Amino acid sequence: MPFNSPLALLGLLFVPAVVAMYLLRLRRTPTVVPSTLLWQRLAADVEANAPWQKLKRSLLLLLQLLLVVILALLAARPFVERPAGLARDLVVIIDTSASMSATDVPPDRLSAAREAAKDALKDLPAGGKVSVIEAGRTARIVATGTSDIGRVRQAIDSIRPTVSRGDLGDALALAQQLAVQSGDAEILIATDAALAVPPTTRVDAPIRVLRVGDPKGSRNQAIVALAVRTAPSAVTRSVFISVANFDLEYATRRLEVWGDDHLIETRTIPIDAQQRADVIVDDVPADVTTIEVRLVAADDSDPDARPDLLAADDRAWAVVPPQRTRNVLVIGNGDPYLETALSYLPNSRLFGLTPAEYPAGAVRKDGTSWDLIIFEGYVPATLPATPILAIAPPTSSGLGEVGGVDKDPAIGSLGTDEPILRYVDLSTTHIAEAQHVTLPSWARAVIPGTKGAPLLYAGVRAGLPAAVMAFEPRQSDLPLQVAFPILIANLTGELLGGSAAPTAAVRPGDPVALTIPPGAIGLHVVRPDGTATDLIPGAAGGTSVTFTQSDLLGVYTATPIAAPSSSPSGSDGPSAAPSATPTPSATGSAGSSAPSGAQGVDPSQPIRFAVDLFDVDESAIAPGPPRVLEDLGKPQPSPGASGAPGAGSSAVDTRPNARDEIWIPIVFIALIALCIEWTLYHRDAVLRGWRGVTGRLGRLRRPAGSG
Amino acid sequence: MAMIEDGPGRPTESVGRPGRPAFLPSELDPTVFDEGFLRQLERLLLLMRSPVRGGLKGGRRSVKRGQSVEFADFREYAAGDDLRQLDWNVLARLEKLFVKLFVEEEDVTITILLDGSASMATGRPDKLQFAKRAAAALGYIGLASEDRVAVSVLGGRIARRRIALRGSGRVFRLLTELSAIRPADGPTDLVAAARHAAAQLSGRGVVILLSDLLDPAADRVIRELASTRSELIVLHVLSPDELDPPLEGDLRLVDSETGEGIDVTADLATIDAYKGRLAAWKEGFAQLAARRQATYVDLSTEVPLNELIFAELRRRRVVA
Repeated sequence: MPFNSPLALLGLLFVPAVVAMYLLRLRRTPTVVPSTLLWQRLAADVEANAPWQKLKRSLLLLLQLLLVVILALLAARPFVERPAGLARDLVVIIDTSASMSATDVPPDRLSAAREAAKDALKDLPAGGKVSVIEAGRTARIVATGTSDIGRVRQAIDSIRPTVSRGDLGDALALAQQLAVQSGDAEILIATDAALAVPPTTRVDAPIRVLRVGDPKGSRNQAIVALAVRTAPSAVTRSVFISVANFDLEYATRRLEVWGDDHLIETRTIPIDAQQRADVIVDDVPADVTTIEVRLVAADDSDPDARPDLLAADDRAWAVVPPQRTRNVLVIGNGDPYLETALSYLPNSRLFGLTPAEYPAGAVRKDGTSWDLIIFEGYVPATLPATPILAIAPPTSSGLGEVGGVDKDPAIGSLGTDEPILRYVDLSTTHIAEAQHVTLPSWARAVIPGTKGAPLLYAGVRAGLPAAVMAFEPRQSDLPLQVAFPILIANLTGELLGGSAAPTAAVRPGDPVALTIPPGAIGLHVVRPDGTATDLIPGAAGGTSVTFTQSDLLGVYTATPIAAPSSSPSGSDGPSAAPSATPTPSATGSAGSSAPSGAQGVDPSQPIRFAVDLFDVDESAIAPGPPRVLEDLGKPQPSPGASGAPGAGSSAVDTRPNARDEIWIPIVFIALIALCIEWTLYHRDAVLRGWRGVTGRLGRLRRPAGSG
Repeated sequence: MAMIEDGPGRPTESVGRPGRPAFLPSELDPTVFDEGFLRQLERLLLLMRSPVRGGLKGGRRSVKRGQSVEFADFREYAAGDDLRQLDWNVLARLEKLFVKLFVEEEDVTITILLDGSASMATGRPDKLQFAKRAAAALGYIGLASEDRVAVSVLGGRIARRRIALRGSGRVFRLLTELSAIRPADGPTDLVAAARHAAAQLSGRGVVILLSDLLDPAADRVIRELASTRSELIVLHVLSPDELDPPLEGDLRLVDSETGEGIDVTADLATIDAYKGRLAAWKEGFAQLAARRQATYVDLSTEVPLNELIFAELRRRRVVA
């Protein structure tokens, strides 16, 4: 029998030690008795039966020697060999995407995946090495090339589910790097194969999929969209909710809308199979700051109601931005289309001046500064230290070089990810005339034009948002289109530091850029589970930080961390308040003012943002076919088949056997031997006790005075 | 110092220990009976199995034909017989001359042989202690029955015989004698001592042996004593520790008399074997006693003296 630790057999040297101790232990206690007469006669009888008596007395010694031998064997770790079912270098990938939290397999798919992975390890050849990768939003190595199976099991057990979309492609690329240097590698993927993003990474090693999840496990309804819009009256808000049914059967769920932990409304919504249902809840109170939507069972008392398999997508949150009246100053001769579009902006007050009245008339009586100044067909010699929108600037300035006029400029190719163009359709827009402006280095082209002259560009200039529209709206048919007010709303939203568009949630795991209010040195961010992190910019005077721990669903709250010697954050002290009078030479250094959005950030208000799943691909939890993943790897090598041309035996042929240690039956035998030894050693005591009890009982039963 | 009177009277004065009855002598072992128990014993008679030959007439049956009122047998008339004993009815019927014979009563000597070997001074309760009490009770019965009572202690190779006492008034002398008995030092040859005791016996009487019989030749002790003309009663006294030894483990058993040792591993099987051996050994004595027309009683020192006298010995008809 082979042994993993044959040196441990040296423990057998304890056998003679046990014998020696046993012999030494036979020191007899002298006991005075009236006479040894009868004992001598007894000893004569015992002597006649000596071999059997010696055998009985030796049985305890034999059992103890057996235990010593068993312990030495256990320490030597005997094993039996069998052909290994896995490669010598194994990479185990555990899928931790949101769908792995589905409960069609108790307790959940991820637990089943962990167990399947650990169970597969028994086919590892002797000396085999294992690496473990956690495949969530990004891939993370939790164990690297170790032959310590105990550590591997611990690493697998430490893997926890996430609520984000999984990326197996990233994990496969990492696995490829780990396996590329091995001549005998294999990749084991424990997943439900419900791939939100089918990977395309090819791997130079065989892939085997340990699929978990009920093939019919598609019973899931999810909240896939949530938005909060302010009513035109700016008094109330509406909540827009979209719920999808990924099941193959009709489902009925109940929707609960909570505002700041108070239940606002409930709706029972029927949803057809593979369909969506949209719900609008109006008249959400204006003072609500956080909206939470819950998808619960339609009838808790119905015992036949089948629960949703994935709970992560049954809750969603939205942060209602705080309302603050913004003051917008328009310098120009008046454009009714523009003024009309600007009047639609919620929480905004519009003021107007002619170019002649500027800048004298631009001083606000309350001492505050303007949130946005729009120059229409006019550019002052000195630009104010506020966000600026220049429409058809006639001359060059710090906002850009103007070189002439373009007639009938065509609209170039529009970017699909441009936020200013969200929901803006310019496909039928014609522009008669536009200033020929050169795109400055601080800006990006929002609406590119032809001949290298953008028609609209925006960016951050001198620490302040700025944008230039090369054409006057009335020089086009844009004001007559639905796109115009949306464009104006998006553009002013970026310039004012807060979007009037529907609240956008953050995806789990996505980094979030947070602006530090003036007067604060950092942000104290509290996660939905109550844990907190302090974020301090690395560079002195930094005005924003990036928060990366957005792996939990829910509402995050960031509060400013005041500077040690400055006034408390959020105060209206002179150092915190923006200047009431635009300074002609104000440059707005990066250290003193924030990038895009800082001007609109109220230093006294905490910053909230919501993290939601909203992933239809991830909420479609029906397990997929393993072949999609297995086809990304090489075919499994067969024994006897040669590897590379000219090579000898294949990796399978040279692969060591798997070893099954046989400690369990040995321990079982040891326990039995211990029990026998204990019983033998204490047999007399047990029998004496029993006889004592039966004797007393007998005396109690006997009538008194008999005999 | 107590004053003990001879004769049937009771002692009149005793300087006893505080709390003890005033009439009890101070030399007495505190384990001796109280006054109440002594009065109970007075009612018992020591029953003899067969008539004895003795010099004094007493209230006991004798094998001799004497001058008493109790008819025993007929005999043909011989010249010189007392004509007053002729049975005229038999003459009338058979026309032959026969004389009547009558039972002659005479007193007996009760010899109590107390094994004083070192092995008797062991056990809980102590065997020698028990034997003394039994000897005192039996001796008192004898004294109360107007018999002569003699105590002899077997120790070494001899029997130390005390002076014979007679009359119930000598009971405290008896108790004093018994209280003074000490176990012998060194080994005891019970056979030799029994032979010595047998040689000291005169006439027929009752011999009561109180011993643990822990001697390799104990059966010869019984034979020696049974071969005398006295009736033999063997009270085989053993302690509970000898009947059921509380031994366990690997031991070296040391003989209390000889000092010899023997190695024993005392497990349950060994103890059971010992008990079997003990039972066979006692059975051997019982059978030997039966063959020699002696009485054998095996006793544990745990047996209360009341039960010994009024139950065990009465059942064996040793005591009336």
